[in-house]
Amino acid sequence: MKANTKSTVIWIQGITCNGNSHSFLNYSNMALFAASFEMLYHPLLFTAHTLESLLDKPEAFDFLIVEGAFTKEARYLQRFGRSFPEILEPLANKARFIVCVGSCASFGGMFRLRDPRRISGALFNAKEKGGYWDEKSNVVNIPGCPAHPRWIAETMMALRERKTVLLDEFLRPKEIFAYLAHHGCLRNEYFEWKVDCKQLGEKEGCMFYEHGCLGPNTHANCNKILWNDISSKTRAGSPCLGCTEFDFPRRALYETHKNMSLPQTPYGIGKRAYYTLAGVAKSFKIERLEKKLIDEDH
Amino acid sequence: MKITKEIIERIEGEAALEVEWEDEKIAFAKLKFFNYRGIEEILRKRPLYDALAFTPRVCGICSHSHALACVRAIESCFEHAQETITLNKKARDIREIALNAEKIHNHIKWYFFSVLPELEKIDNPSYRGDAFKKPRWFLAQNAVTETLKMGAIFSGQWPHGSFVAPGGVTCDPVSLDVLNARGILEKVIAFCEETLLGFSLEEFTGFDSAVQVMASPSALSWGIDTMIRHAFDRLGRSHDRFLALGDSFLYEGALKSAKTTVLPADIKYVSESLAHTFFEDPTQGYTYSKTATYKKSFFEVGPLARMMVAKEGLIRDFHRRFKDAALTRVMARVVECAHLLVQTKRLLENLDIREASLIPPKRNVHELSAEGIGVVEAPRGSLIHAISVNHGVIERYDIITPTVWNLGNGERDNLSVVQKALVGLDSLTKADFIVKSFDVCSVCTTQ
Ligand code: SF4
Ligand code: SF4
Repeated sequence: MKANTKSTVIWIQGITCNGNSHSFLNYSNMALFAASFEMLYHPLLFTAHTLESLLDKPEAFDFLIVEGAFTKEARYLQRFGRSFPEILEPLANKARFIVCVGSCASFGGMFRLRDPRRISGALFNAKEKGGYWDEKSNVVNIPGCPAHPRWIAETMMALRERKTVLLDEFLRPKEIFAYLAHHGCLRNEYFEWKVDCKQLGEKEGCMFYEHGCLGPNTHANCNKILWNDISSKTRAGSPCLGCTEFDFPRRALYETHKNMSLPQTPYGIGKRAYYTLAGVAKSFKIERLEKKLIDEDH
Repeated sequence: MKITKEIIERIEGEAALEVEWEDEKIAFAKLKFFNYRGIEEILRKRPLYDALAFTPRVCGICSHSHALACVRAIESCFEHAQETITLNKKARDIREIALNAEKIHNHIKWYFFSVLPELEKIDNPSYRGDAFKKPRWFLAQNAVTETLKMGAIFSGQWPHGSFVAPGGVTCDPVSLDVLNARGILEKVIAFCEETLLGFSLEEFTGFDSAVQVMASPSALSWGIDTMIRHAFDRLGRSHDRFLALGDSFLYEGALKSAKTTVLPADIKYVSESLAHTFFEDPTQGYTYSKTATYKKSFFEVGPLARMMVAKEGLIRDFHRRFKDAALTRVMARVVECAHLLVQTKRLLENLDIREASLIPPKRNVHELSAEGIGVVEAPRGSLIHAISVNHGVIERYDIITPTVWNLGNGERDNLSVVQKALVGLDSLTKADFIVKSFDVCSVCTTQ
């Protein structure tokens, strides 16, 4: 991959809603992306090649992007009269990198729930290693339901320029997924002082205690880089659904799962540390945080 | 008799078209959708509110529409359990703004990413597409991105935002957020005026004659011209029957129209059939798409249907000249886009943020047992969610998507909307474009 030649990209789909394709099309620096990448095929767009022509004579290329869950079952998925393996394998063998975009391609996602034994991600079936493949050294996972356009475009640019990115145990790029969705949420102060949002639809309060927010347990930088460059679920008053994790979607997403009336602890924080601090914080009543953010009387 | 099979590419998902030819003309056609994902089954036995997170994921291009249909169905469950749900004007307006963003973006994306390149290719078979290449493609992509950014101020994100809950919306914007949204919308309006329409919105939405549209060079007038050159002003006509079950700022209530006569419609006459599907018969079936009919007749849904029941002046003129040909269908999307921009601007200018965003139902959802229906006019037409819930657990979830109305399969003596539009055509190239004139979403069709 010389810097002055474009990297070639083929985008294919497993079992999907097309959400990652549409998310990607929201990338706000698309001209920059296009200067470095040539999209040989994308199922929704008018690109120079047809999938059939690429499958008939597979040649080496740089990025295979897969959106959607993987399956070997022809009755669950066929495109152009071919089963998913008949499309995937010839291309996977010729691709330099395989980038799984979205939680479906990474872990199986929502569509996995239909038949968890036969529908999975590329290298994971939910948490377990071993998805469609047992092993493959050139796979990067960019989960999310959908994946953020910057996660997709910037990971591809980093791979093109640096040939490698630092990955976590689920093969997610660390520069994105070392953050938690909780980081940068505007409700952080309410979280610190354990002030619950009494109901949805208000700027005030944290959704961790009653409304199922998974922000402190979800690896993603949503509240750092923001969605559509402007907002996020928690900024729009909705709980984080944990969409970048292997267990997305959990059951009862809008309720906080409690154990002896205590919510689970944030990622990597021990029970003793968390509950001690939470107990202390809760014992104080911070008047400012009980009031509306914008107090119209003053 | 000759039978040919063709794949319809570059749509949301893919479809296969099987055509029967007689005397070089299409005598009958079947449109087949294969990739069924089982969302209705996945939802069974799950907590009711999970549907708010799951159903947007039915479709990547109309996720807000599904979220809205879902919350309306849930609210209707509460109503049927004798609990009145009050929606403040603020909540209703914000829901509409977010839905409009989805529709506006859909229509721009469809016109620039699908209609125009398809027409270029019909004009010149060696055409290789413009995606990621031509300046106009980037301009359209930017307009799409900005439209959704405007919507995301309220919905948090697109696609797959979750911004609604029973009783309202979850966001609580400050007035400066609304001003920001107005600024972003202005950029989209500028793109549409300069590149798509060639006229100001004010001029364009006042037009009532097809001739007026052609007076300025634009992406739209080029498209119309090209469609007329390839006879799409005569081809692709269907039953000339339209249905719009969901509400809109352009008309009141649920309506249907046969040609230009508009009458009230009622969702109770809608029926769904599994005929020709793999569900009904795994060996004889040939598609995963169900079919929907109104009083056993096929009706077209979508922007053309909405413009027809709203008696929109410009579309009425196109219809007078060209009936429900492909040209009129394409035109209706663009005209709707213009009206949506005007309406969204109006909503933003008048949005009163002082009201509560949400008034939650009093009853605990775990005590809710009822049935409910939610209807939304999604980008491609009437979208219906029907739920049956028992103690807060979903017993049955049924989704009828717009594409099911337009692109399901009928019988030889009762042709569906798309079948009727295809019969009599003399080439697959034309058939391909006619199918696409419905803005196909196979993803939605086969949830
Ligand atoms: S609402 Fe969620 S993301 Fe925000 S502070 Fe509370 S727990 Fe963290
Ligand atoms: S906030 Fe949570 S649910 Fe929303 S996109 Fe980010 S990780 Fe996914």
